[in-house]
Amino acid sequence: MAMKQPDNRSHFLLPDLGEGVAEAELIDWKVSPGDTVVEHQTLAEMETDKARVEVPSPWAGVVKDLNGTAGDIILVGDILVTYDISGAAATPSAPTTVAAEPVTEDAGTVVGNVSETLSMPSSFQRNPEPATREDDGCRSMATPAVRRIAKDLKVDINSVAASGRGGRVTASDVNAHATPPVAAQPLAQATQPTENELPLATRVAQPIEGVAERIPFRGIRRKIAQALQHSVQTAVHFTVVDEVDVTELDRRRKGFEELLGRRLSLLPFIMTAVCRALREHPAINATVDDFVEEIQIRSVINLGCAVDTDHGLMVPVLKNADDLSIVQMADRVREVAKGCQDRSIEREDLTGGTFTVSNVGSYGGQFATPIINYPEVAILAIGRARERVLTKNGAFYAGLVLPLSLSCDHRVVDGAEGARFLNTILRSLEAPEKLLPAV
Amino acid sequence: MPVDCAFQTTIERISILDEHGVYDEQLGEGLIPDSDVVALYRHMTMCRHFDEIAFKLQRSGRMGTYPQNKGQEAASLGAAYALEDKDWLVTCYRENAGLFWRGVDPEKILLHWMGDERGNHIPVRATPLAIPIGTQMLHATGLAWASKYRGDGGIGCTFFGDGATSEGDFHEAMNFAANLDLPVVFVCQNNSWAISVPTRIQCSAPTIAQRGLAYGMHSVQVDGNDIFAMVKVVREAAERARCDNRPTFIEAVTYRLGDHTTADDASRYRDPEELKLWEARDPMIRLRNWLEQRDLWDENQEQAQRIENEAIVSGIVKRAEEIEPPTTNDIFNWMYAETPKVLETQRKTMRTSSLGQGFDGV
Repeated sequence: MAMKQPDNRSHFLLPDLGEGVAEAELIDWKVSPGDTVVEHQTLAEMETDKARVEVPSPWAGVVKDLNGTAGDIILVGDILVTYDISGAAATPSAPTTVAAEPVTEDAGTVVGNVSETLSMPSSFQRNPEPATREDDGCRSMATPAVRRIAKDLKVDINSVAASGRGGRVTASDVNAHATPPVAAQPLAQATQPTENELPLATRVAQPIEGVAERIPFRGIRRKIAQALQHSVQTAVHFTVVDEVDVTELDRRRKGFEELLGRRLSLLPFIMTAVCRALREHPAINATVDDFVEEIQIRSVINLGCAVDTDHGLMVPVLKNADDLSIVQMADRVREVAKGCQDRSIEREDLTGGTFTVSNVGSYGGQFATPIINYPEVAILAIGRARERVLTKNGAFYAGLVLPLSLSCDHRVVDGAEGARFLNTILRSLEAPEKLLPAV
Repeated sequence: MPVDCAFQTTIERISILDEHGVYDEQLGEGLIPDSDVVALYRHMTMCRHFDEIAFKLQRSGRMGTYPQNKGQEAASLGAAYALEDKDWLVTCYRENAGLFWRGVDPEKILLHWMGDERGNHIPVRATPLAIPIGTQMLHATGLAWASKYRGDGGIGCTFFGDGATSEGDFHEAMNFAANLDLPVVFVCQNNSWAISVPTRIQCSAPTIAQRGLAYGMHSVQVDGNDIFAMVKVVREAAERARCDNRPTFIEAVTYRLGDHTTADDASRYRDPEELKLWEARDPMIRLRNWLEQRDLWDENQEQAQRIENEAIVSGIVKRAEEIEPPTTNDIFNWMYAETPKVLETQRKTMRTSSLGQGFDGV
């Protein structure tokens, strides 16, 4: 839907860059204040939920101010660029009342110009602004969201001192200007949006000293943050930890390596043991659908495998992992890890997991409290195996010990069930003859 | 012999001016007069510029969704050139070049994407753009049937993408056309992608042309970026339709150099190498080289054309943007030549209902 831009071309409101797009992230400006631009010249590069796009200028003019910096989320309908209209390019007609309204309210409701004399049902008529303004020339610049806050706080936005970019009134300015709410005014507080309800683009960071770099949450980092936050807020986590003697497994692993003439880590052996244990404990191989409040016991075992990449944590999924041999498992892990690293991995290989293993030990550390890869219900963190002095039948011996940490969603998995599942994995790893063909 | 061959055939692939600039003098003999080739090239450059500007109109909030035509100009243009004014052009939304050649006002296309119903008011034998995938093929079959019944000598020529050949409508339209002996030319613009779905995923056969063969109609594959080959096969198909009332299925192999629409980002699913390969096969580059080799075109003319195109297209944009505001009546006005009773009732109801009051005053 085409957006109604101001007739005098004083500013350019961010249009819907796709179909039903609400906001876009500013990637980079392609012009600077003072630049003369021609029609269709690229102003900025932006990224919506679906696409990275170049935003062209709808008309020729001189750029006065750029609203936003790289990484900012700009709402559709907010001012992107203001133009210098003081020169000859200024509109011949004085701005009318309609044009001076926050223009975004018009977007998409009426096509074309609505004449003042047109009779409209009362429900379609907008409330006129209180006529307290002295003249239109002194009107403050502010986003519709900030105007709303001002309205709710009964603050005349034109009397607020502006501290934002390009002389814009920010939410903080309005709040600072408002009479400090006293306890006897619960109503005013109730209608004031809390900090988290404000559109991102209008929020102001707390002043803090000693910041070396400000990195906006974006791209994969933001997705990771959202996924983890959702998991922790939804699933009720508990973690059970244990150690397992993998001396014999490691001996067989080395024999395997020699036989095949290739390197094999412990990981594919552990993953195979996990698959076996999931078959024995189907309740762990499950996902939850919180929307319909249902636990889904899964018939397939799709093993997620957390991978640390340059651009953040990714969890590729090994479909039907229980069908894979140890060697196939090792190959698949390597394949998907590489796919994550160079971003060539197919989307379907990143979804559909039923259980996740995270090999934290490869970076050090023994035990962990891993966060479940929601909507799965459990996750296993594998620590670093170390040689330790162990005892057996009253005698000491040197052995290799592997620490394991299992987090479960307590809403779905009881403590005893989680412990039993972990035990099954331990038994399997301690008695590798059942796990492996004899070497 | 216990096993007989019940049927055997081959699918021909027609190419006259290939991507390396090699021109088949025999097949191309007398196909298009030189002056017309120049006109077609000039038209193609204008369409390309129109496409670029239309894309930017969406990005600056001046127009709604727009599907880029870039790279597919030769297919519809070649067909429109080969057809006559009495023939129906029944398109989807990547045939601007053919529609403009036929005489559809380019601002109508912009109005359409601006959500203005007047963009559907097309006084020549072309139908409004069909956005739902595949519906227009049935319309073409129906229009061709009507032409045959009336004996007005017209035929139907419809355009659709590779994805549309997986729709039920396609098979119904093909089945009727083949079995009722209807004069239809089906042109599939196989541009390799149905939005983000590559052709190989939705068609297991090596050619889409085989789908036409299955209905018993003459089916051929053609280099859709080769305007000479397009003119040749469409001309033959039109003759087959006009003289024998037999439909033809043409698979025009081309490539969508842009995104599916302005709401899409092809870089998320398309190999950049594939794009590079097809950029080299651009129908416009190839045609320009052909003209320059024959001293029919030079850099000066190219520069002049570029300036002319800018003037033409900015005039088109101006006309589309400065048209007086639409009225609610436009909703009813431009789909049918004779307004059906049910629409007439709606129009009246709208006028008397409280919601409509005041909005119909223009």
